[in-house]
Amino acid sequence: MRIRLTVMAGLATLAGAVGLYPLFAGRAWFWAGLGAVLSVAAGGLVARRFRVPAALNAVAGLLALLLYLTVVHASGEALLGVVPTAGSLQRLATLAGEGWDAANNYAAPVPLVPGIMLLAAAGIGLVALLVDLLAVRLRRTAPAGLPLLAMYSVPAAVREDSVSWAAFAVGALGFLALLMTDAREQVGGWGRVVFTPRWSDGVPLAGAAEEDGTDGAGGSGGRRERPDVGALAASGRRIGMAAVAVAVLLPMAIPGVQPRGLFGLGGGGGGGGGSQTVTTPDPLVSLKRELTRPDDAVVLTYRTDARERPDYLRLYALDRFDGDRWSYYSLQSTAKDRLTDRELPPPPGLGPVRTQRVTTRVKVSRQVRNMTFLPVPYAPARVSIKGDWRVDEASRMVYSLRDSAGGRSYTVTSLQAMPTAQQLAAGVGYPVDVLRRYTALPRTVPPEVTKLAHDITSGALSAHRKAVLLQRWFTRDGGFTYDLSAPPPQRGNDLTGFLLRDKRGYCEQFAAAMALMARVLNIPARVAMGYTPGTQTSPGVWTVRSRDAHAWPELYFEGTGWVRFEPTPAGAAGQGTAVTPPYSEPASDPVTSRGEQTPSAPTPSASSSASAGPGTAAQRGLDQPDPGTGADGAEEEDGGVPTGWIAGTVLVLALLAAPMVARVLTRRRRWAAVPPPGSQVAGGRGDGDGPGGDGPSPASAGGTGAAHAAHAAWREMRSDALDHGLAWRSSDTPRATVRQLAQVLEPDAETAQALGRIARAEEMARYSPVPADAPPEALRADVRRVREAFAASVSRPARLRARLLPPSTVASTRSATREALHEAAVRVAAVTGRARQVRERVAERVRDRLPGGR
Amino acid sequence: MAVGTHGGRASGLDGLAQVANKIRDAVESVVEGKPHAVRLALTVLLSEGHLLIEDVPGVGKTMLAKALARSIDCSVRRVQFTPDLLPSDITGVSAYNQELREFEFKPGPVFANLLVGDEINRASPKTQSALLECMEERQVTVDGTSYRLERPFMVVATQNPVEMEGTYPLPEAQRDRFTARISMGYPDPAAELEMLDVHGRSSPLDRLAPVADAADVRALVEVVRDQHVAPAVRQYVIDLVTATRNHPELRLGASPRATLHLVRAARAYAALDDRDYVLPDDVQDLAVPVLAHRLLPTAEAQVERRRPEHVVTELVHRLPVPSPRQ
Repeated sequence: MRIRLTVMAGLATLAGAVGLYPLFAGRAWFWAGLGAVLSVAAGGLVARRFRVPAALNAVAGLLALLLYLTVVHASGEALLGVVPTAGSLQRLATLAGEGWDAANNYAAPVPLVPGIMLLAAAGIGLVALLVDLLAVRLRRTAPAGLPLLAMYSVPAAVREDSVSWAAFAVGALGFLALLMTDAREQVGGWGRVVFTPRWSDGVPLAGAAEEDGTDGAGGSGGRRERPDVGALAASGRRIGMAAVAVAVLLPMAIPGVQPRGLFGLGGGGGGGGGSQTVTTPDPLVSLKRELTRPDDAVVLTYRTDARERPDYLRLYALDRFDGDRWSYYSLQSTAKDRLTDRELPPPPGLGPVRTQRVTTRVKVSRQVRNMTFLPVPYAPARVSIKGDWRVDEASRMVYSLRDSAGGRSYTVTSLQAMPTAQQLAAGVGYPVDVLRRYTALPRTVPPEVTKLAHDITSGALSAHRKAVLLQRWFTRDGGFTYDLSAPPPQRGNDLTGFLLRDKRGYCEQFAAAMALMARVLNIPARVAMGYTPGTQTSPGVWTVRSRDAHAWPELYFEGTGWVRFEPTPAGAAGQGTAVTPPYSEPASDPVTSRGEQTPSAPTPSASSSASAGPGTAAQRGLDQPDPGTGADGAEEEDGGVPTGWIAGTVLVLALLAAPMVARVLTRRRRWAAVPPPGSQVAGGRGDGDGPGGDGPSPASAGGTGAAHAAHAAWREMRSDALDHGLAWRSSDTPRATVRQLAQVLEPDAETAQALGRIARAEEMARYSPVPADAPPEALRADVRRVREAFAASVSRPARLRARLLPPSTVASTRSATREALHEAAVRVAAVTGRARQVRERVAERVRDRLPGGR
Repeated sequence: MAVGTHGGRASGLDGLAQVANKIRDAVESVVEGKPHAVRLALTVLLSEGHLLIEDVPGVGKTMLAKALARSIDCSVRRVQFTPDLLPSDITGVSAYNQELREFEFKPGPVFANLLVGDEINRASPKTQSALLECMEERQVTVDGTSYRLERPFMVVATQNPVEMEGTYPLPEAQRDRFTARISMGYPDPAAELEMLDVHGRSSPLDRLAPVADAADVRALVEVVRDQHVAPAVRQYVIDLVTATRNHPELRLGASPRATLHLVRAARAYAALDDRDYVLPDDVQDLAVPVLAHRLLPTAEAQVERRRPEHVVTELVHRLPVPSPRQ
């Protein structure tokens, strides 16, 4: 039954599961996982008690897991609260679906709704099942690390800041402990150590008690009975601890590898408001939901020293348009990006225009969850906040990889540019990198949109003029209606439809469409997301509610940098608290260089609190994510790709397929290395082919090709034999090996001849001055025939394993690792030896320099 | 006299195999059911070594030695070793010739192509060591004068196991000079039955006619010397020998001479297999006969009844055969 190994397998799974903590909010998931692991282990134990085949073992584990899940999550529908019924299965499926939706909608850490608990328990349980099956039933402990690694890699792939070293150490130690337990049992399987009198110090050979559980450190008596195991275990523990310590400490010493490009922020933040959401596609998704929230909750309050209306509070700058939606390029976050209360460099492009420094003290509501991007007025120059917050200097987004802004207070000093229309109009030309990055458009932009943009701005010369015309078209001439009931744009077509046909939408459509058209006109543009200034509740104090969430375009002008435009209708028939910046008004208006006008509807304070009011804009991460509201979240997720899950699956599949692929590649490489028959290999490779130059003498250059073919055939046959679990002793010569194989295989005459030919070719290639001239194709055919004989001689599972998990690749990896380790040890020894020499030399020199008293 | 079939001197591997097969057939017609022992004896002959046959009395040790000697047309001498045998009885004496008024060397039985020493461990150590110089140097020195021995020269000694009464164990130095030690073992019942038939009427030894002569053997020895030994095989031999020196159960490991003998014997063994290159298989087959009698087990190993043969067999099973890197 292997109780000890079973327990260790469970512990290893649990230790590995510790690494999942960044995925969940709260700790209850761990207890769910514990239950799953326990039930799987119990199922495995029962199955082994009755010595059922491995496949049934897995089934037993699965059944145990299902029972556990039923008892915990669907006992109401189950028979006697335990036995699964159609109803309980239905219930589990529903829960799993909810959990799936939640996982896709919320950023990690996800709240522990029942569905998530179910998924967590099931996932950990499945890993436990695999580990139990591999390590305990099949006694393949090393491959059992694969499911553990796969589990560990999920949070590592999902969260950029990855898993803490402590969790890593726990997981690694768990796996090592499992390996050690297995190795102990195997060594123990050899029985007691028998001493020759030469070594013995009088250990009685007979009568040593069978003490299975004797630990190496379990007192002198135990050590005397199984001295070797004790010593091995001790050194094993030492090696294991050292390996884990090195694995933990080494990365601190070397520059980190940033996995950002792969699973980074590019995927976008999700409904949860996090930056590295597992699955949600982009920050705009939750906009609609926030805008239509029935309770208009307070997001934040702030106090500002701005003389006029404060500027918008920005969360995101979406600078990438993929043809369907706006998102941002992946952020390359390093420790250098930390705010640490420093003065940031001036924002990109800011020239000699008038600016004012505005200090804003923000207090975010406690109810806000998962707000990992800070709402700050553009452009932040200094941010004081506790925790690990970082800034992306190009976009000036302030974000955290870990912390949420919920309940926090912080102070932002920002540099607000106050250009005049003339200054903006004077800005001509753009830096190349800005132009390239912020006017990039996919080819799929419909020609109608391009034509429309040019039509609207025909006659305008400067970029600023074009922008003003665009904005006026959206707010005044275009005939657009602010309509919160419009569906959120999912595809590029939706935007086209909005522009050309529907003309109904909310800030998202307006902002996205204007930024798109600006790019069409070669004006660098991006979509910003955040909040309008909100409502003034007392002098200098402003309150921002969820419906003040907003999206707007930012356009770049040389000499000023990024400035905000406002294509969304403001006031009662639009975004209530939106304000149109003065410089964006047509030049006919008397423009003052400061102050703002609220063109159509003033008094935002009145509308902002009105629940039926004309909507607000998006906001992220406010309040508990509620699966109930996931109705539109679910439809949104279609557009996005659940990157984490797919990546995880691909990773697991890749890990599982790796040995097979490696085997095939090895085979191909071996035969490919064989020179075509008759050709002579230049450089006498045959000579250096073997260790200690055991290849045939280079004089026989004509035969090197044949020698290569013979070696390739031999190695292939060796790998095949290992794959099929056939014995292959390194102390056997080729003919002895073949004799041995023939005894096991009982081959037909032709296979026996093939075996003989392969052995003879190898033998001559190794030891004869002239290798046999068997053509490579013939040898290859022989090897194939022998492989078929191998396959026919073993059971179906063994055959399957030979294909899918060929042990020969594992063995070669192991030997390569051993060689690498050996080499490393030699190098280390050399280095330390050199260091000692240097030290001694220095000491000598110092001694020489000392006054001659000694 | 040599039989006409070998009129043309055997040259090259084919000739060697031909002649060797003839000798083998001839010997096997006398010593039934012992092909391995016969093959080893031939191997030692072709590798210019000496053979020690050890076994209980009556299993055909002397028969093998005699058959080998008889099937080759060359000078053969036989010495029955007894406790009172003197060294000069082996090497020869200088006797005073009254007529010539000078000492004259009377060559002993050692001046032959084949010296069959029966029950060599019954002789006193002094006499045994008299064989030393002859075997290694292939010359005899009496009264300061050296006399060269003939070629080929091979000592085939038989001995009873040392546990038997009235025996002096051979000193290590002497054992080291024998290329191989073989034991006959009892014949299997079928072979024994056939032996009864054949030996019942007359001794088959009497009917044995020589099938080769000394010149043939010399030519064969030359062929054997040219056998190819790949560096990997040499390395394997070195590994094996070194392993005996480091083995915890051995007090005395194999000497460099043993290495030399092993490679030489392997060459001959391969040639008998009609191969012109040596395989590790040859080395493995020869390891016990060539190495075991030179090794001394430690006292502890002796107590455990571990014999050097076991150690060598174990080493052969443990040492990896040299193979090209993966």
